Amino acid sequence: MSGTGEKVTGTTKTPTDFLKSIRGKPVVVKLNSGVDYRGILTCLDGYMNIAMEQTEEYVNGQLKNKYGDAFIRGNNVLYISTVKRTLADGA
Amino acid sequence: MANNPSQLLPSELIDRCIGSRIWVIMKGDKELVGILKGFDVYVNMVLEDVTEYEITAEGKRVTKLDQILLNGNNIAILVPGGPPEDAE
Amino acid sequence: MSGEEDATVREPLDLIRLSLDERIYVKLRSDRELRGKLHAFDQHLNMILGDVEEVITTVEIDDETYEEIVRTTKRTIQFLFVRGDGVILVSPPLRTA
Repeated sequence: MSGTGEKVTGTTKTPTDFLKSIRGKPVVVKLNSGVDYRGILTCLDGYMNIAMEQTEEYVNGQLKNKYGDAFIRGNNVLYISTVKRTLADGA
Repeated sequence: MANNPSQLLPSELIDRCIGSRIWVIMKGDKELVGILKGFDVYVNMVLEDVTEYEITAEGKRVTKLDQILLNGNNIAILVPGGPPEDAE
Repeated sequence: MSGEEDATVREPLDLIRLSLDERIYVKLRSDRELRGKLHAFDQHLNMILGDVEEVITTVEIDDETYEEIVRTTKRTIQFLFVRGDGVILVSPPLRTA
């Protein structure tokens, strides 16, 4: 049905490649509701269910909660983002 | 009318965008612009040098992101090349 | 590295598995939060919780002053089933290293 993944060029980075590369790294997970979770990615699965450590919950840019460990159900996830070293916040 | 002269499948169109800018319009008041690095059968996408626009009651909120995996679930429209204001 | 039990988290659901018989925090849609003891769960995140405290947060806008009034309603439920599709986040108690 789909013709994807036939060509693999040097610049291609598939979702699977991305997920492999971010384990154990600091990430931002944004939910469809607009809530952000910042923490260290422990692991994830094919549903985009996510386990994170040292998680901070931000609502409208404000820190609302902290969790030692957190499981996020994948259906709520809008994106998973890497975090740049700089803590510059454009908010 | 139903004839597609180019015989280009939607997934092939997206495949041709790899390495270039793409404008993603989500269901709801969100848009993203970034360089497409790859995608899968669900059109989950890896984007680089991303700018996220959220249209809220207070106005547009802009967030810059390094590299993201965007969930394909809530994507409405894809525009190859990026938004028109990029042309300048 | 590993402790007495297999405390490794290889996939996200392991985090939930390690929380069985522990008190967990569950964030649900429509501003509901639960704290209770996890008795059982499945891959959809359907869960059976016991000795549950439910907190519901509502925000009303005052008609005259337009101020936001945040109200929380608490209640306790002895035993309940949570349907997985309403779950946003689950946080287990802190695992001690």
